[in-house]
Amino acid sequence: MKLGVFVNDYKSTVETVDRLTAEKLGIIFIQNGVFHATIKDNGKASPILDKSANFYALSEDLATRGLTNTDVDSRVKVVTYSDVVDLIFNDYEKLIWV
Amino acid sequence: MGTLTMACFASLVGSKSLDFALKLAGAAADKGHKVNLWLSSNGTMIGKAHQKHLKDYSTAEKPVMELLKKGVEICTCEACALARGIQKTEAIEGIQWNAMHWYLAKIYNSDRVLHIGGE
Amino acid sequence: MSNVKLAFLIQRPPYKSETATLGITHAISYQVVEMLLEDGQNVIPTVCMVGEGVLNCLKDQKAMENYGVMSIESHIKNGLLVDLDILVCKEDLARFGISEDRIADAEDMGADKKLQIVPYAEIQKVMESSNHLLVF
Repeated sequence: MKLGVFVNDYKSTVETVDRLTAEKLGIIFIQNGVFHATIKDNGKASPILDKSANFYALSEDLATRGLTNTDVDSRVKVVTYSDVVDLIFNDYEKLIWV
Repeated sequence: MGTLTMACFASLVGSKSLDFALKLAGAAADKGHKVNLWLSSNGTMIGKAHQKHLKDYSTAEKPVMELLKKGVEICTCEACALARGIQKTEAIEGIQWNAMHWYLAKIYNSDRVLHIGGE
Repeated sequence: MSNVKLAFLIQRPPYKSETATLGITHAISYQVVEMLLEDGQNVIPTVCMVGEGVLNCLKDQKAMENYGVMSIESHIKNGLLVDLDILVCKEDLARFGISEDRIADAEDMGADKKLQIVPYAEIQKVMESSNHLLVF
């Protein structure tokens, strides 16, 4: 399946996401999920980024938290709401919110 | 163009999930997609008219009115609303009131579903 | 397409929020969805309890006595009575040390169905075969 996962929180979501498998996996960081794309906990990037997936972070939620594109891990693409709509309709047939 | 059905169970105040749902609904409608939005649990707070915009609190009345004008169908869970003391007479005009099967029926005819659960 | 399959994945524990209850009640509402669909169209739900969601499945819940609300156990029983398939993740039950004899059933209400304790791999298959996924 082609699965798009909206990760909206930071600490509590790692375990759930770790369990997910899909032939095509997209992880869209929104709200506090954007910290996965930006924060290094004790120098280590979020383990979510080690998954085999395409990663996206919502620009508006980065900016809201005082984060900029330069804070974002190189594996993550910064996207707008309009981009998210295109991802939903063009790239991922099933969506979940965790 | 496709059909996106969303649900939001999170509250208007104290969570930004409802804000996200409204913005995504607007972005999808702007691109010509059909959008349905089901409000349940604390998400039903969005449907009450005469919300006052204080700067420490999210407000939804204006964006909801804009979404309705764009043709987004919004429906609130009647039982969830009544349990919170929200009466139909004080609801934003244009928001439908129904039960959970409305959501499942909309899903039936949708290309994509994004279910934003509670917190 | 006459049937649309939905996976209701319940991962929240009971009572701290409404979420788990609403997962079950939304799934049960498949019973009346035909009213809003054309002839021959239907929605087929499967409920999957995963992660902390398996904690909803303990029997002998006393929510009515303590909070005046219907217990999640009662909702689960109602779900079984209307022939919902409710799967419970075996690995998560084991992880929380919950034995099968502590799991709710609706035998006393005459339900034919029981909670189905399955490996996570079965739940993954349900996710793959469903048209849409709803996480509660």
